[in-house]
Amino acid sequence: MSHLITYKNITISLSGKSILNIDQLDVAAHQCTLLTGRNGSGKTTLLKIISGLLKPNTANIHYQGLDMSWKQAKPYIQKDIIYLHQQPYLFDASVSDNIAYGLHRLGESKAVARQKVMHALQWADLSHLAHRSAKELSGGEKQRVALTRARILSPQLLLLDEPTASMDTDAKQQTGLLLQRLKSEGVSIIISSHETHTVKHIADHHLHIKDGQLETIEPSTDSDKVSVLKPSKKQSVT
Amino acid sequence: MNDLGQASANAFELLLSGNNDIWEIISLSFGVSFSAILIATPVALIIAFFLAFFQFPLRRTLISLFNTFMSVPAVIIGLTLYLLLSRSGPLGDLRLLFTSKAMVIGQIMLSFPLLVAMAHATFQAADRRAWETAITLGATPWRAFPTLMYEVRFGLIAAIVAGFGRVIAEIGCSMMVGGNILHSTRNIPTAIALETSKGEFAQGIALGMVLLVLSLSLNAGVSVFQGKGELRT
Amino acid sequence: MIFLGKTALSLNPTTYISALSILFFSLCAQASEPLRLATTTSTENSGLLAELLPAFTKQTGIRVDVIAVGTGKALQIARNGDADVVMVHARQAEDVFIAEGFGVNRRDVMENDFVIVGPQNNPAAIKNENSTLSALKKIATKQIPFISRGDNSGTHKKELSLWKHAGINEKANWHKEAGQGMGKVLLMASELGAYTLTDRGTWIAYQDKLSLQVLNDGGILLKNPYGIIAVNPALHKDIQYLKAMSLIAWITSLNGQRMIDGFQKNGQRLFYPTAIKDVIADE
Repeated sequence: MSHLITYKNITISLSGKSILNIDQLDVAAHQCTLLTGRNGSGKTTLLKIISGLLKPNTANIHYQGLDMSWKQAKPYIQKDIIYLHQQPYLFDASVSDNIAYGLHRLGESKAVARQKVMHALQWADLSHLAHRSAKELSGGEKQRVALTRARILSPQLLLLDEPTASMDTDAKQQTGLLLQRLKSEGVSIIISSHETHTVKHIADHHLHIKDGQLETIEPSTDSDKVSVLKPSKKQSVT
Repeated sequence: MNDLGQASANAFELLLSGNNDIWEIISLSFGVSFSAILIATPVALIIAFFLAFFQFPLRRTLISLFNTFMSVPAVIIGLTLYLLLSRSGPLGDLRLLFTSKAMVIGQIMLSFPLLVAMAHATFQAADRRAWETAITLGATPWRAFPTLMYEVRFGLIAAIVAGFGRVIAEIGCSMMVGGNILHSTRNIPTAIALETSKGEFAQGIALGMVLLVLSLSLNAGVSVFQGKGELRT
Repeated sequence: MIFLGKTALSLNPTTYISALSILFFSLCAQASEPLRLATTTSTENSGLLAELLPAFTKQTGIRVDVIAVGTGKALQIARNGDADVVMVHARQAEDVFIAEGFGVNRRDVMENDFVIVGPQNNPAAIKNENSTLSALKKIATKQIPFISRGDNSGTHKKELSLWKHAGINEKANWHKEAGQGMGKVLLMASELGAYTLTDRGTWIAYQDKLSLQVLNDGGILLKNPYGIIAVNPALHKDIQYLKAMSLIAWITSLNGQRMIDGFQKNGQRLFYPTAIKDVIADE
């Protein structure tokens, strides 16, 4: 199994209290990792460090064959890794403007960008919402727009913070579907969650934060509690 | 002295007749105050943003300092600036005293703390996710900042309008560092003071009406924008 | 707007700065620096300068910024080097100003006179007093309200010297210091039914708006000469001495003096030229 990116020696403390102390975190390429832990265990903190949004006290990063400090790596990881909030934030604009937001950086012509946005909307089955104000959408719709807005930038790694926390079953299913598609397109994904069953069918690995440290939960040792073995549901219940 | 009604009628006539002197004074007032706000706003917004979004030493001290400076009376700023800009003062070589530039500087000093304090409150209340989302979608801070400003635009506009409202009606500083020179530094408030002292109430009232209408609409504007800001967040 | 940020969200710095500079330069577009004349409110408020200065500017091309304040403040502004030329009416203070080395080349310009005005019912009964000093004594003994400028202006200085001459040193509640310009003080006196000392120019300009009358005038003590003084160019390196001297030359020239002579407000002459008085008187 190849690793997309490796973080070593992540430590962070807030107001003198140590939050995380992680020796090593390997992110599997093209696969989905489930990150669990109790509320307040540092899941969000870890995801923000991974994505380059939050500065850790220490962290070394191995990425694209290079060893770097977090600071050196920040421009690369901010470019290739996208973090999605538990309740995604959409800008005060239309759905298509939101999806186009990151394209600005790529410096593409307006026509090309418009094409891309159109395809992206079709991909997520959101075409009918293109001109709606993003602020008026439901939680599930917002989540899908946020996923589409991330996907259009072709990220290497997508970090989802409790993506299905406050969603109804319908919205959960649609989000799950998009995640499946993303994964099949080769995007690596980390999903944090404190309830596991809604995303377990797409997760290949399972990491658990406890007392600021990461433990790998092997499917065999923990099969009845969390089945993270293989994509399909049938296989997971063995 | 003629009665108030007569004076007000004369005032209307003055305004409508396109009396050059009056409209020159009005446009000077606006020119000076717009310039002051235009210069003060970008710097104030950036400072306010840093105060709200980043931790650094003396941050709290700075915030309370700006809040305190907000209540410094215009005449004190006028006096300070007068002493600085006078040819016998330390900045006398700039030859700015009794010019409209000096008035602009005074109004910048007046509006700056208000702009920072109000913009800081707005940024403080802004959704952190807006900033993080822009950054994680690959925006540079230089692009994420305007995006964030757009998200909280109603609060920021309220701050700017309030700042403008403070300087357009201010007299103490303009009188001192401007000198109320006809065609050069006479603005609405100093002209009102002068016309009243001359007993020319019609002109005083005419200018007063302009200022009153302006202040009322600015205040109404501030509450509308602040209301919108609250609804959105 | 498909690109959030490219249109509404981002300020183009170049556009911004150029807009800013246009605004700023339009504020100070006047090419050459104007001459700064610090003078008393009486010359400005009477409308005299509004008539004289455009003619001066037309002839010489020198624009004049008028800073109209009390005499004391005008001299102080000049001391600080914030004016190039002063025109005031307080002979003693002017002499001190020159003796201290702040001013040079004083010339007489014109004169008018002070008058004592008071309420229509004249509670101090000073109408028939010929002597200015005894009129003032009466006001003081009867303790009728008297509004003083109280702003160190030429008129205020004059008033103080008059009280001194009259031997009134104790001034109780009836003597009210307003700290305002002449016009404002006249309006206050009218509202409060009080006496005051005013220059005749301002009085003529204001009398229609006031319920006051002239109760004492014409005395030798009430003369009010105006002088113009250039600020010593050695004081500050950027004093516009030549322009100041141009104004002095022009205002004391035949042309300038004739304009002062001909200036009228409400059909009355306000000022009498004194620079070359005899010449004009002969004509």
